[in-house]
Amino acid sequence: MAEQQVPSTTAAPQEPIIQFDHVSKVYDNGALGLKDINLKIYPGEFVVVIGLSGAGKSTLMRSVNRLHDITSGDIQIGGRSITKAKGKELLEIRRGIGMIFQNFNLVKRASVLRNVLTGRVGYYPTWKMIFGLFSPEDKQRAYESLQRVDLGDKVYARADELSGGQQQRVSIARALTQDPQIILADEPVASLDPQTTRHVMDDLKRINEELGITVLINLHSVDLAKEYGSRIVGIRAGEKVFDGPVATADDATISEIYSGKDTEKEGA
Amino acid sequence: MDATNKKLPPRERKNEWPKYLAWAFVAALIIWAFVGMPAFAIKPNAGQIGGSIMSGIFHPDWAYVYRGDGEDLVSTLLQTIAIAFIGTFISAIVSLPFAFWAANTKHEFWLVTRSGKFLLTAIRTFPEIVLALMFIKAVGPSAFAGVLAVGFHSVGMLAKLFSEAIENLDNGAGESVTSAGGTRMDVTMLATIPQLLPELISNTLYRFELAIRSASILGIVGAGGIGTPLIFAISARAWSRVGIILLGIVIMVTLVDFISGSIRKKLI
Repeated sequence: MAEQQVPSTTAAPQEPIIQFDHVSKVYDNGALGLKDINLKIYPGEFVVVIGLSGAGKSTLMRSVNRLHDITSGDIQIGGRSITKAKGKELLEIRRGIGMIFQNFNLVKRASVLRNVLTGRVGYYPTWKMIFGLFSPEDKQRAYESLQRVDLGDKVYARADELSGGQQQRVSIARALTQDPQIILADEPVASLDPQTTRHVMDDLKRINEELGITVLINLHSVDLAKEYGSRIVGIRAGEKVFDGPVATADDATISEIYSGKDTEKEGA
Repeated sequence: MDATNKKLPPRERKNEWPKYLAWAFVAALIIWAFVGMPAFAIKPNAGQIGGSIMSGIFHPDWAYVYRGDGEDLVSTLLQTIAIAFIGTFISAIVSLPFAFWAANTKHEFWLVTRSGKFLLTAIRTFPEIVLALMFIKAVGPSAFAGVLAVGFHSVGMLAKLFSEAIENLDNGAGESVTSAGGTRMDVTMLATIPQLLPELISNTLYRFELAIRSASILGIVGAGGIGTPLIFAISARAWSRVGIILLGIVIMVTLVDFISGSIRKKLI
């Protein structure tokens, strides 16, 4: 299996922004989530994770910001171990990682502005959040994020008045408002039609190129992965079976990643 | 086509015995209940009293509607509404922490939820009239005792309804707050409560409709409201007074149901 060595630390002086070190995850019910994953992702990359349903793509994404705890190994974000982080430190690391979900995960009854402001939660003490006290600067910041995804005119609309594609872009704006170094996108276009899919992917690509935010995304569509990604990581049954630039992922490699049975358990 | 021309197969007969047993049990229960009941004795003057009551209802004591002494129909009806309103309002706030305690989504240790649910059931077991009798001993015969009785019982019911609303909530929005570096409390304030609010208000209004009915009765044991003049009028056989009071209760309950019902419809 073609395992390419992407910029080695000696060639590039950069430190990886996300580093998986022998990461394994076994679910409580015994199902295997991840198996000895080693992965280095460098600042500014647009990495697409592909694989069958249940291969562990979602689990991989969710271990990065520790929405899922891993069983063994270590994950470092910008040199800090999120696996070992506790309390305030964990919240601080998470604050630097924006996340976009398949189902948008907005508070549907709340305004778009309110939803986007939620991204700032990590910068406030909890007592301020009890009263929803966001500063005017952050409201301005939220509005600017919305403009970046062309939704400035929807700032006071209710989230559920928007179409699916617009809701997903609101959640991109929410992630941007966090001022993150990394954006994780967990099947962000799985519930969108082809046209809105393109719009959302374009937004992500633009954010990656213009703001230099590292994007780690998992997708069902190989075509999209090849079109937008700079690097592809293939996961099969919890194992990393391919890792390399898009150009090296030929048809044989892709079918290798997608070979084998659909594993029964969805990773999320 | 062969595949579509097949005859509907007869349903496979299961063992019918449990069904027959269940019917026999219900029949036995009904017979037993009737046997245990005292003879259907009707007092000889029942017809006469029934006639007086009917005549009282059709010739209500209009002068009682408003006298300005604070013990007339309008004043006591307003007091009834006030008892129901304050009791429900306070209990809605008190219910919230209980609801989070009893909701099975928030805790990993089963005993926490189980004990919360048990406590709420225990609270609900006490009928309001019994609570009123106890609170009268504690705070004296007044509308305050009524408020406490209504409020106490409400907590048992509202917290149960709230906790079920929490259990049915989709936790996606909460996940997005967590991923942005929010604490558990942040998740509650920014995602759970806003999503829960319509259901909280709707349940509270429904509970208010029920509380109006109980508050009408509580006066009978001396806990304020319309029940007090009602029981006096019945003891004094002042049937036209009873008539106007019943009329007043019917109008009040209908109005409250109508208003609160139309608000609830708009919320959902």
